[in-house]
Amino acid sequence: MRIKNHPILEFKKQSTINFTFDGKSVEGVSGDTIASALHNLGIRKLSHSIKDKRARGFYCAIGNCASCNMIVDGVPNVRTCVVLLEEGMAVETQENKGVLYERT
Amino acid sequence: MKANIVIIGGGISGVAIAYNLAKKGMKDIVVFDDNYMTGGATGRCGAGVRQQWGTKGNCIMAKMSVDFFETAQEELQYHRDIEFKQEGYLIVATNKEEDEQFAKNVILQNSVGIPAKQLSLEEALEIVPHLNKDIVTSATFCNTDGHLNPFLMTDAYYHAAKRLGVKFFYNEKVTDIIVENSKITKVITKNYEVITNKVVNAAGGFSYEVGQLAGVELPVYSENHEILVTEPIEKIQGPMVISFSKNIYCQQVPHGSFIMGRSDLDVERGHDIGSTHKFLDEMAKTAVNLLPPLGDLRVIRQWGGSYNVSPDRQPIIGDTDQLEGYYLAVGFSGHGFMFAPMTGLLVSEVILGLPTTIDITDLHIDRFKNNETTEYEHSVV
Repeated sequence: MRIKNHPILEFKKQSTINFTFDGKSVEGVSGDTIASALHNLGIRKLSHSIKDKRARGFYCAIGNCASCNMIVDGVPNVRTCVVLLEEGMAVETQENKGVLYERT
Repeated sequence: MKANIVIIGGGISGVAIAYNLAKKGMKDIVVFDDNYMTGGATGRCGAGVRQQWGTKGNCIMAKMSVDFFETAQEELQYHRDIEFKQEGYLIVATNKEEDEQFAKNVILQNSVGIPAKQLSLEEALEIVPHLNKDIVTSATFCNTDGHLNPFLMTDAYYHAAKRLGVKFFYNEKVTDIIVENSKITKVITKNYEVITNKVVNAAGGFSYEVGQLAGVELPVYSENHEILVTEPIEKIQGPMVISFSKNIYCQQVPHGSFIMGRSDLDVERGHDIGSTHKFLDEMAKTAVNLLPPLGDLRVIRQWGGSYNVSPDRQPIIGDTDQLEGYYLAVGFSGHGFMFAPMTGLLVSEVILGLPTTIDITDLHIDRFKNNETTEYEHSVV
């Protein structure tokens, strides 16, 4: 999925970043946003529409549309297209509108 | 065009008055509004419906309005749910004066049948666990308060009134009211001349100007009150949370968004309904102070709307000795939406010369001639 050879631009090899997606250990590279790393892994469904739960994917890619909202390290509604991937991040598909805190 | 009555203002008060008049058998009712439906204060309001007031008049108006909202969909034969959610209002006290004032308010509210009760901090936290327990001292709660969709409620009245023959003209500004020999003869709009001898001023933010059109002087003014809405999240808050001392009301609507507002004590009088950074800043700080987890939510948008403010923060309802055939439903001071069912009922009774369902002497404009009888409503954000 990544462009390795380009007629004009040069892409240096980036260091690997390990993270989890829905509990599975996966890899991205330094400089990835969460969403770009997932895209490279072939993951196209990032969230769901609120009402009918239809699949939502990588859409605006600039943090405006909420289509890529996911749970990252327990925080819901993270715009994964504009958040840089970090080592050890736990990224999860969000099945609801997001839970702000657990009621005890 | 001829009309038995012209109602100026097709917001919640205007449609409620039109519906009540038509239901009582009045024919040829015309409603003009210079904006689209709910383009004014109704569509901009916080949508809260509460009965926990500090004056008896407001308590009774609110209680009877809630009784109506509970059966409104059926009564108005509306095809949709009007989204009346009764999960209460939690009014939090943050100091000793409020604790004491609220105790008095609850006695007053109970005396007219409103099921409000005073709660300890612990009891309040059971209802809204994310309250900041360091600043809340006690609370009052009424479980039949709630909120209601203003767009759907207005539309429900509109359709019911229309079925009864009321004619509505939106985006049709009234430009003049012709008065001859101390009697109303005509209402002039952009495109129409209507022969009539009765006019209702239900013009919300523009009530003062609509008074001026007929030479009626009203002790009201308008000011901008701002409001914002956040992104939706799963439900964490049932009731509207409100604090007078912290100057905030904040609810989570069925969709999951939080809607919140506060007053700007320095706001200038007038018709500006713009949005300010000052509001966004103060609102965010106030909300996060009182309800800390909300700090993680993003603001989707903000807007403003007019409060039409009367000298005692209570509505002005009834006729006026300044002009025969001129009726008032103005000065709601930010609470016209939740009082609308009673506004509609009472104004229709006054117009038709019927005995009013409740005594509205205290809501008549003449109360301002004699300030001694005026009770001031303090329970306002």
